[in-house]
Amino acid sequence: MNRRIQPYLFVLPVTVLAGVLIYYSIGFAAWASLTDWNGLTTMNFIGLDNYVELYHDPLFWTALRNTFVFLVATITIQAGLGLLVAVIAKERLVGSNFFKAIFFLPIAMAPAIIATVFKYMLEANYGSINEVLRSMGIIDQSTVIQWLGADLGVWSIIAINVFQWMGFSMMIYYAALMSIPEELYEAAEIDGAGWWRRLLSISIPSLRGTTSVLIILGIVGALKTFDIVWLTTGGGPGGSTHFLSTLLYEERSNREAGYSSAIGMVILVLAFLLAMAQIRIANRDGGKS
Amino acid sequence: MRSRTPRGAKITMYLVLIFLASLWLFPIGLALYKSIQVGGWNNYNVVLNSDVFNYWQAIGNSFLMAGAASLVIVLVSSLAGFAFSKLRFRGRNLIYSLLLACLAVPVAAVVTPLFFSINTVGLRDSYLGVIIPLAAFNSLMMLLIMKNHFDTIPDEMIEAAALDGAGLFRTFSRILLPLSGPTLATVGTLSFVYSWNEFLLPNLLLRSAEKFPVTQAISLLEFDRMSLEQISQLYAGLILMTIPSVIVYLFAQRYLQAGVTAGAVKS
Repeated sequence: MNRRIQPYLFVLPVTVLAGVLIYYSIGFAAWASLTDWNGLTTMNFIGLDNYVELYHDPLFWTALRNTFVFLVATITIQAGLGLLVAVIAKERLVGSNFFKAIFFLPIAMAPAIIATVFKYMLEANYGSINEVLRSMGIIDQSTVIQWLGADLGVWSIIAINVFQWMGFSMMIYYAALMSIPEELYEAAEIDGAGWWRRLLSISIPSLRGTTSVLIILGIVGALKTFDIVWLTTGGGPGGSTHFLSTLLYEERSNREAGYSSAIGMVILVLAFLLAMAQIRIANRDGGKS
Repeated sequence: MRSRTPRGAKITMYLVLIFLASLWLFPIGLALYKSIQVGGWNNYNVVLNSDVFNYWQAIGNSFLMAGAASLVIVLVSSLAGFAFSKLRFRGRNLIYSLLLACLAVPVAAVVTPLFFSINTVGLRDSYLGVIIPLAAFNSLMMLLIMKNHFDTIPDEMIEAAALDGAGLFRTFSRILLPLSGPTLATVGTLSFVYSWNEFLLPNLLLRSAEKFPVTQAISLLEFDRMSLEQISQLYAGLILMTIPSVIVYLFAQRYLQAGVTAGAVKS
């Protein structure tokens, strides 16, 4: 067969499967967001009405704020803890593989299952967390902490996400740390640099590119987050813990397909803008990604 | 020579590790305890023999959908990874960039058109209707991993094969694939785990309880106003449903870790 055509045959399956499906869906969503589509039949062009409505929808701003708080908090906490554990694991202490395995295990487990376990543990009245706190005397017998309520809900969701994904940051940092040449450390030690000095002048600067990658993955990951929210608070009470993804899903099931597509477009634009901004910042700082 | 760590620092490190590990083990231990707190080990029997929830069917469904999706992913991502890495053709970089840009597209952002499309082609509430988007959305990360892997194989091997008159597909299957065992295992494991863990797509597309994968079947064990015994049974169900993931983890931890790292190191 012709050598000029053949390469295209190799890339055709993935291009048709993923490229066409995903770009078609984006194009479809872009068009649908300009209509009053109900998901089935009616589909009239209404211009930017959905976006105007979105702008005036307090739930949208709540969801946007929650998504953003989640994004900043999870990236920071997961990177911080991940780096801490990775730095310790690099010391090759006895049993450090065991600890690494514990932190990595949740990555293999389904977010849907982890979220459900936490939902029942965090339940206010009979949930285990409040029970434990009561039995230890930390809170009063009659106190009911609404872990999944309007005030704490987003933070509980953040905690569940940290439980699931911290091991990911840990593993990435660990791999990056192990790729730093051992000679650098030895030379520094001969020059009299102590443990902290070696950490701050060799390890941390070498991890810039890694941190940058983790931030990009964290941005995209935050915008993808759905299961943990949907299966714990479901966006409630009163929409106070909605994320963009769950708000979209709820509007879709309310037959607001045009409106939900507009939320989808906002998510896509945010994903691209934030990822681009991070890549630019990383390049300006001279970090490799 | 190994850099030495002061003794005091070592003790602090162990304390940090033990503290964090107990935070991580706490929910797992609590779930195990809760699963037998009311009703004892019999809860596991109850769940396995439930009328509303068929454990083995849910496992089978997850296995079928995740298995089929990962087979498709391994196939399409290795073929395309080879071409993007080793072959020259017009539009190569453009197509590759356009595909990788999709890595930033969350499934949740396009559920509305996705549902409509799958419904229109008559695949709603079918295994295939879930497998197709599952493979589509997970194949791009795997394409990245495969291409980066093929980049590490010297071009001279391809050129030598071409001189011997081997066709492209033959070069791919006889020379490159045999050098790619661990990467293929990594891509397969990662695809399987990610597909197994997916909740949004089946929740969007499946309606019949007998087709639910484990992530979706959990809801069958939840009722309004549950008794303490029913909650214990739910915990037992959750633990039973996690067992396959833990088994995969125990046997393929190496590949899972390799995959997670490979997908992040070079984006």
